[in-house]
Amino acid sequence: MSPRRLAIPLIAMLLVGCQPAATASPSVALRHVTLLLGFQPDVQFAPFYLAQQAGYYAHFGLDVTIEYKGDADLVRLVADGQAEFGVADATDVMISRTAGIPIKYVETIYGLFPVALIGPKGTVPADPAELAGKRIGTPGKFGSSWHALLALLHAGGLTEADVTIREYPQFNQVDGLLNGDVDVITGFRNNEPLRLAAQGMQVDLLTVEEIAPLPGPGVIVGDALLQSNKADVTGFVAATLQAETEIAADPQKGLDAAVVAVPTIDAARDVALAVLKGTIELWRAGAPAPSAAINDAAWTSGYETMRALGFIDGSVPLDEMIEHLVRETVN
Amino acid sequence: MSRFAATLLSLAAFLVGWKLLTVLTGTPDYILPAPEVVAGRAVRAIGSGLLWEHTAVTLTEILLGLAVGATSAVAVGVALGKSVVIERVLSPYIVAAQSVPILALAPLLDIWFGGGLLARVLICALIVFFPIAIATMVGIRSADPLLVELFRSLGATPAQRTTRLEIPSALPVIFGGLRVGVTLAVIGAVVAEWAGAGSGLGVLINIANQGLFDTPLMFVALATLAVIGIGLHGLVVSIERRVIVHP
Repeated sequence: MSPRRLAIPLIAMLLVGCQPAATASPSVALRHVTLLLGFQPDVQFAPFYLAQQAGYYAHFGLDVTIEYKGDADLVRLVADGQAEFGVADATDVMISRTAGIPIKYVETIYGLFPVALIGPKGTVPADPAELAGKRIGTPGKFGSSWHALLALLHAGGLTEADVTIREYPQFNQVDGLLNGDVDVITGFRNNEPLRLAAQGMQVDLLTVEEIAPLPGPGVIVGDALLQSNKADVTGFVAATLQAETEIAADPQKGLDAAVVAVPTIDAARDVALAVLKGTIELWRAGAPAPSAAINDAAWTSGYETMRALGFIDGSVPLDEMIEHLVRETVN
Repeated sequence: MSRFAATLLSLAAFLVGWKLLTVLTGTPDYILPAPEVVAGRAVRAIGSGLLWEHTAVTLTEILLGLAVGATSAVAVGVALGKSVVIERVLSPYIVAAQSVPILALAPLLDIWFGGGLLARVLICALIVFFPIAIATMVGIRSADPLLVELFRSLGATPAQRTTRLEIPSALPVIFGGLRVGVTLAVIGAVVAEWAGAGSGLGVLINIANQGLFDTPLMFVALATLAVIGIGLHGLVVSIERRVIVHP
């Protein structure tokens, strides 16, 4: 058995309730499942591409088809069983679960919340209270960018009324910052700073983790799948974590898998590799390797923040929103 | 059967069909909410003032966009109808503006015009413009040639011919364009809001769908847009009936 094949069962041992049936032999028909990834094909989804291409999912009896959907559709389709797995923002999981959509967050992909406030170097305050009066560009009043912005404002004792919000529904807030239409923008810290640097703008970031911790995006499944076929879920989690761990150790491996899945990435390999390396730092969150474990501290803090902001009313407790499949703890 | 009774019957059949669909398919509310769920959400949205807050914004955009778009479209349509040269010069641009997906153009217009009400009114006007302008051009050219000749023989000036013969005879076709235009104005306002706005029914749809995962609220916003469209269409038909005397 190769080291790679050995690694999968080792990681699987970390998972609660991972059944031997999940280790399908080649003679057993694979179960077809669909994974929905948000937005569009991107190098940041490299773990899923690698796990699919390297047969890690097949090792657990899964034949995974990857599709791309907007976050709102993605959550509903997973809840309805039209897709088995999805990757969604943890904050969206809190809102949708409270709205009665039966999904659960089962695996952390991003150890750190990927959205930050971004502005020209030397202009971004370290204290969110100093955001008062700033012109802030954001895609819209939804999603992780909006949640991060409001969480920071809330931590600084501010509200939406204390700043000027400029919406960029086409996600072109970078243009607004470059034009000087806004002072700071919300953006993904593994992406927008690189785009701005390419345009000659060096930036500073204001992140949420030291101020108002929020849990990062991760894998979601529907309640029905979790109840009827937990082995598939644990197998999927183990295979994804395996790929994520390998990519964290060797980013080139992830880039190669991403190029196979999304050939257009090949045209800008250097940029894609830089984005991937930035993304790996968000997966690892300062640890030596990525962890699939749910960060209870970030979830508890995020739950309270989302409640204080009025996104959720507390009617659905936190433990109904998440499922701990991994024994290890990050707390 | 009166028109009102027929409308009520049609609405009742629609609601029963909708309810049956949700019951028979067992579709959850977060995919397709039942009509009574949407109605309940509408009551809460009205009660909290949320619905009116967004409806007022969209209605303003629609009415201003319609006013700007329809007025300029009639003016340009008359010019196109009366001058082959003007038609040859302007037509490619008008057709090109109509052919470019407004969804692609809207974000640019939003940036060019500062992202405020002006940008949204212009986007709305742009989408309204084409059907009314073309209808006006066709209507102007459909004036009875014998009557045109009669006006000429009586020494009518071009302006008199336009205002007293060609425009009145073009009215049925212009109103046809207006009927299409008012429904497009609703779409234009939503597209404009999706390009960049802080409030409006298009924004409410986005917030409900992507921000709150509140499918019933999204349906409330969609139903409100439909009511606005039906209302404006009915208003145009009503004005048309009063303005045009059918033989």
